[in-house]
Amino acid sequence: MNPKTKLLALGASVMMAFAAPAAASDWKPNGPLTIQIGFGAGGSTDTMGRVLAKVMKENTGWNIVVENKPGGGGVAMFTGLSQRPAKGDLIGMGVSIPVLVQLVNRGDQLLFNIDSFDYLGTVAKAELALVASKDAPFDDLEGLIAYAKAQGTLPVATMAPPQVLMMKQTMAKAGAEFNLVTADGGAEVMKLILGGQVLAGFGSGEHYPYLESGDMKVIAGANQARLSYAPEVKTFIESGIEAYVDPVFFLAMRDGTDPAATEAIAAAIDEATKAPEFAEIVQNAVKGDPLNMGPEGTHQMMVDGLANAKVLFAK
Amino acid sequence: MAVSADRASGAFFLLFGLAMYFYVNPVYIETVDGGNLAPNKVPNIVSIIVAVCGAFLTLKPTAHQVRNPILMVKTGLYVGLLVAGIYAMSWFGFEYVAPILALAIMWMIGERRPLWLGLGVVGMPVLIWFLVTQVLERALP
Amino acid sequence: MVDFATILAGFGDAFTLFNLAFVLFGVVLGQFVGAVPGIGPIMAMAIAIPFTFGLDPLPAIAFLVGVNKGGLVGGAVPAVLMNTPGTPDAAATAMDGYPLAKQGKPLKATKMALFSSITGDTFSDIVLITVSAPLAVLALKMGPIEVVALMIFAFSILAGLTGNSLTKGIIAAGLGLLVASVGQDPENFTPRLIFGYWDVFDGLPLPSVAIGMLAISEILHRMSEAHGNVQSAIVAKDTGNPDDRRVTWLEYWSCRYTMLRGATIGTILGALPGIGSTAAAFMSYAMTKASSKDPGSFGKGNIQGIAASESANSAVVGSNLIPLLTLGIPGSVGAALIISAFMIHGMQPGPLLFENQGRLVYGLFGAMIMANFVNLWVGQVGLRVWVKVVSAPESIIFASAILLCIVGVAMATSGLFGVAIMLIFAVLGYLMTSFGYSLVIFIIAFFLGPRFEKSIAQSLALTNGDLTQVLKSPVAVALLVLSVISVVWFLRKNAQAEQG
Repeated sequence: MNPKTKLLALGASVMMAFAAPAAASDWKPNGPLTIQIGFGAGGSTDTMGRVLAKVMKENTGWNIVVENKPGGGGVAMFTGLSQRPAKGDLIGMGVSIPVLVQLVNRGDQLLFNIDSFDYLGTVAKAELALVASKDAPFDDLEGLIAYAKAQGTLPVATMAPPQVLMMKQTMAKAGAEFNLVTADGGAEVMKLILGGQVLAGFGSGEHYPYLESGDMKVIAGANQARLSYAPEVKTFIESGIEAYVDPVFFLAMRDGTDPAATEAIAAAIDEATKAPEFAEIVQNAVKGDPLNMGPEGTHQMMVDGLANAKVLFAK
Repeated sequence: MAVSADRASGAFFLLFGLAMYFYVNPVYIETVDGGNLAPNKVPNIVSIIVAVCGAFLTLKPTAHQVRNPILMVKTGLYVGLLVAGIYAMSWFGFEYVAPILALAIMWMIGERRPLWLGLGVVGMPVLIWFLVTQVLERALP
Repeated sequence: MVDFATILAGFGDAFTLFNLAFVLFGVVLGQFVGAVPGIGPIMAMAIAIPFTFGLDPLPAIAFLVGVNKGGLVGGAVPAVLMNTPGTPDAAATAMDGYPLAKQGKPLKATKMALFSSITGDTFSDIVLITVSAPLAVLALKMGPIEVVALMIFAFSILAGLTGNSLTKGIIAAGLGLLVASVGQDPENFTPRLIFGYWDVFDGLPLPSVAIGMLAISEILHRMSEAHGNVQSAIVAKDTGNPDDRRVTWLEYWSCRYTMLRGATIGTILGALPGIGSTAAAFMSYAMTKASSKDPGSFGKGNIQGIAASESANSAVVGSNLIPLLTLGIPGSVGAALIISAFMIHGMQPGPLLFENQGRLVYGLFGAMIMANFVNLWVGQVGLRVWVKVVSAPESIIFASAILLCIVGVAMATSGLFGVAIMLIFAVLGYLMTSFGYSLVIFIIAFFLGPRFEKSIAQSLALTNGDLTQVLKSPVAVALLVLSVISVVWFLRKNAQAEQG
């Protein structure tokens, strides 16, 4: 052996000694457990995901890393997840509706379907609202439609395809014309409303501070039921537009993951969603309580959601 | 040289822009109904601009000279080394490949002093390993 | 409006030894991690956030402010010392920083970067603390149409950087825009030019492109030149003249207008979400070069170039907090990470922030002021260490830098796929420089591209495709006129430079 190969062998053996895996008795992640969030930093999914990870880490002692992998309302992240080996080290966190709508409209191109994942649980339901500046000359969806007809057209900010489809349904049904401006997330929708560039837009939580300060008002609820924080406001359905979204924040892993792993992780998620600390952050983010449907319930929610989305959003 | 560097790169961008416009963009960009800015609008405009500028450059090249070809070949060797290293990492992991890759790079640059080689081949990878897996508790590639 | 007692209480909360310790720890971590090739300031923030979970809100925020500001200073270090900027905004710093370092004055170069960075940062902090509310209202008035006009203006100023061939500059910008269009289109969210790789559905990962193009391609070039000839990466010459190792007051003072201009550009662009520090740094650099009596000295180690770039990109980070605190709108990836951290610690950015949590906000401002002083002090020590580090032989520096870039990009993009993209862009970057195409123009176009296209789509939606509506916006018209003037002016300057 010449000195170089000796060095090399030494280097390799040092590395190997360090890298030897610890023996595991009970299931626990082999190395860091990563939660990939299908949205960028700073949004409600991100905030809830990070706090969930923190509480899980405190409860279980596992090393949990949080990463953001935004794009296509979570499609980029779930695509990546579906292509990774099922090693039990990667969890995806996303929102049901954007994924379901993409599956309905582009299912043949996507590399996954709803059976590509083992579902772990949900953390909360999101409430989507159409909001406007407090000075807007309308107070509900009928008023908005009437004003759009009177003006000829009316600018509305959206941030994802489901909302575009809802507004297109509204146009078709009511015969009003809207200029649909695509914004980069809820915060930009708020900016466009406050700046007066659009008259209404969709918010999934970014508008709460402005409701509180009185700068904005809710025009319509976009869920199936009325908004919990504005029960007096009618939904799209009640205004005669047969469209709604019920987005749920959920977590999943690659299908075929070791059942011991999914069971342990689902239990850890369930435990974390019951923590008061987590409830507080959920209250801040979506104005509601944590909601865990459990692995079975989450799977059912996705199956039912897909059937619904086919009816509501198929091209 | 008969062909100046600018003529060559200009011709390349002319072909590249045309290929994007006529072949790649139509095949790999979806068309949508309605909307204000079609997905292929910006890529198409930019492709045409690149092609036109490429053509212009072929006709009116500057006096730019490429780098010494020998240096470029050497760079190619380093690129090959990195490709091999990253490919190996996807199979064996960073822990095993990094020291070998570091050794290969340092050797190619011409480093022969055992102390520096030792630092680069053992010290640095161990330091990275320690920082990433122990301090930051992340996974290495 | 927040009453004076709250302001005092907030500052009082901030100025404790306990918080100072966290600021110090944050600055040290930020300067160190931000300076490591391949890791950089944003990664430093992302890494730091989980460490704050166990802390009370104010120390946690103080720590993150420290990391953020320390990262800014650290980010300039590899750009100046090795010509391998880890972030594109530091690429402008490298243009004069590296030549100066190569002349044997690495300490002078890095110190100039440190001083101008802190000057720009402090300037925008003062603006933030004093007049953030009115500025935020102004920023709101900048709708999509005005943003498009502003970006066209930014592109027009890049004409000042095209060097001897405008045609090649346009090609470089076009390539950047094409590469930026990979991912999803901004209006309909359809997959575009992804060739079946859904991993890039969100666009090519920024760290891969930036580090590949700017850092790895330079390292490849330098490795090929170093072949068989091992020397130190940077030699700090001992000329016996202490002024070569420091920045004198006269030198600093001679850059006052440059830094003021840079800080102003940075503060304005930072207050508008989505434009970012890269454009600010290059706009400031190009304007400084153009207004200089000796434009030929730029790119050869002129401290004015360092001052222009660093004052501008650092100012962006402070004023990014203006839309963030007052409206809850993050202006950049770094700002998005900060807002995420704030929300985890129970701070709700938005219209009621100053009312409901005024004391915490002024605590944050207090921490920012502390961080600026700490940054200056830690920087003085830290820079010496880095200059020592890069005086190691090139062989080990390059090998280590490559390993670090691989690990850093793999961490930032969660996997080796991002590393492979980094390598592709390294080769592209190398070929582009070999054939005389500007990398910085490519990178700026790549970074501005998605926002530019999105703003165009929004403008078209708002105007129903009727471009005459643009004439109704005086700001947009003014910016467009300025763009034409600047293109003409820069082209004449370039032509003169070629003749003279």
